[in-house]
Amino acid sequence: MVVKRRLSLLTLLVAASLTTSCQKSESTTIKIGIAGVQTGSDGQIGSTMIFGSQIAIDEWNAKGGLLGKKIEPVVRDDEGKPNQAVAVAQEIVAKGAVAVIGHFNSGCTIPSSEIYRQNGLIQITPGSTNPQITERGFTNLFRVVGRDDQQGTVAAGFARERLKVSKIAILHNKTAYGQGLAEEVRKTFEANGGEVVLFSGISSEEMDFRANLSAIEKTGAEAVFWGGMYGQAAPLLTQLRDSGKNIPFISGDGTIVKEFLDTAGPKASNVFLTFGPDFKKLPAAQPFLEKYRAAHGEEGPYSIYGYDAANILFSAIEKAGTTDAVKVAEVLRATRFETCLGPVEFNDKGDLKQTNYVIWTVENGAFTILP
Amino acid sequence: MIEFLVIGLTRGATYALVALGYTMVYGILGMINFAHGEIYMIGMFACVFAIGFLSTLLGPGTAALLVAVLLAVGLAAAYGYSNERIAYRHLRKAHLLAPLTSAIGLSIVLQNFIMLSVSKGKIDFPRHYSGPLIETTFQIGSTTITGLQIAILVVTLLVMGGLFYLIYRTRMGIAMRATSQDQRMASLVGIPVNRTIATTFVIGSALAGLAGVMIAMYQGVLRFDSGYSMGLKAFTAAILGGIGNIPGAVLGGLIIGLTEDATSHTIGSDWKDCTTFIILMLVLILRPRGLLGERVADKV
Repeated sequence: MVVKRRLSLLTLLVAASLTTSCQKSESTTIKIGIAGVQTGSDGQIGSTMIFGSQIAIDEWNAKGGLLGKKIEPVVRDDEGKPNQAVAVAQEIVAKGAVAVIGHFNSGCTIPSSEIYRQNGLIQITPGSTNPQITERGFTNLFRVVGRDDQQGTVAAGFARERLKVSKIAILHNKTAYGQGLAEEVRKTFEANGGEVVLFSGISSEEMDFRANLSAIEKTGAEAVFWGGMYGQAAPLLTQLRDSGKNIPFISGDGTIVKEFLDTAGPKASNVFLTFGPDFKKLPAAQPFLEKYRAAHGEEGPYSIYGYDAANILFSAIEKAGTTDAVKVAEVLRATRFETCLGPVEFNDKGDLKQTNYVIWTVENGAFTILP
Repeated sequence: MIEFLVIGLTRGATYALVALGYTMVYGILGMINFAHGEIYMIGMFACVFAIGFLSTLLGPGTAALLVAVLLAVGLAAAYGYSNERIAYRHLRKAHLLAPLTSAIGLSIVLQNFIMLSVSKGKIDFPRHYSGPLIETTFQIGSTTITGLQIAILVVTLLVMGGLFYLIYRTRMGIAMRATSQDQRMASLVGIPVNRTIATTFVIGSALAGLAGVMIAMYQGVLRFDSGYSMGLKAFTAAILGGIGNIPGAVLGGLIIGLTEDATSHTIGSDWKDCTTFIILMLVLILRPRGLLGERVADKV
């Protein structure tokens, strides 16, 4: 106990010395934390999100910065791990950031948001969809994506009504995002009169699904829903098709990544995913996409969300005339922002007032919106 | 039922292959080789690289695949040899914790080396080579068995047969068993102890490399941290069967593979790790030296 107290005193001292050392530079720059997964199995999708936010920062700095100061990004990698996310959050706070764009994984956003709230930072997540994030009454927390209960309703409704599936098997990766989404799908699917014949979790390192698939086969499921990320979705789909089953494969926004198609190749047929509208066709998104492709190659599904989140945050700070979290949060709730993805408004919880999940599919080796 | 057995046995056979390496090293040195899971991972990556290299050299045929597998197994064996030279030989007389720590260190180095030099994400096993084996299927009753599953089972069986022959019927095997009983006595009767121990590492690592190649084909993707969970499962298998006991490692691997599969079929895959370790604990409570482990008194 004594040791513990000493340790916490020590960390306090270290943190205090860090913040004081940062306060000197605070007069010339505004520090913005950018946190998300850059390495590990979700590294691809997270990195491309962070690049999006960085482009927004470069643009604002080229225009003269924010409130007359340059924006200084503090980019940190949470490796997609909840405990690492907490460490990253503490580091961002200690660096003296006034707001944070992140994290990507819901499992990382939930624990780290506690730290940002305690320290009075505005947080906007461009990628976390778990409903719990905005259900805890945090006034400093916003997201520019939809929620898994909305996404799950769309996915389950689609399976039930359009695909006429009456028995579905649901697998998930036991994370806040994957399991959360899977449970929302189960709820809606059962409410619509369907039957969930199998509901199982798989650890997120597992790459061999044959035991699960043979269990699914026995239940007579007419479709498989995957609540998880693209890294496992590809071998799961490949092994499902290898076992001779061509039943619909339905999943959420964690799967809509090019790497999924690279691995699954021609096996990616009869695939349906829920995600936002097709930004590639939006005229407002073209300048950003051109800039992104010139700098980092092909964009990821969340690049534009990272970019929009940053722009919304900076506009709100500019309008509030201060970096004070309470005032910026008030502006965020009261304003209608024009973004690449169309107008954005937040409700009291910090969720989007309007979300539009649509069904995507795979055609000729590319993701397209289902007509 | 047959399908359930095939899936469980396929997994179990690869666990057993990796577990053999743990149990052989323990048998001869009385130490756990914690870098063993990484050797398995090296085997996976080496095979994919060798295929990339050989498909231009030998053309995209079976020859390229076979040579690539041999190269991967050879490279894994080479890693096993250097593992012994770097992390074990100089520390053989040191405190037990020293080689343990150096092996854990080596495992972290290998994992990070692959992560930084190759890829932080996943790599696909070229479908062109694994596809034909997966798509060749056999029908037994209502169940379908793929050519790859049969290949894994047959290769594992052959390799294990060879290993048993080597250990119980050859001069090398006699030397290995003698060294495991008493190193000093073995050296007094003219057995090259250093070479025998190195051979043990080399054989165990080759088996792990082979398991890596087969699992890479089986699941289609590989990652720098693939060796971690495999290492843990195989280590558990070695303990379950009785560490140091070679048939025990095979038995332990098969039991874990079948348990995992049975759990996925009955109460759901969420409980997979739970049931595996409950069985391990029960076995250890009832038979502290594992299923086939000898009683301590016999060994002394």
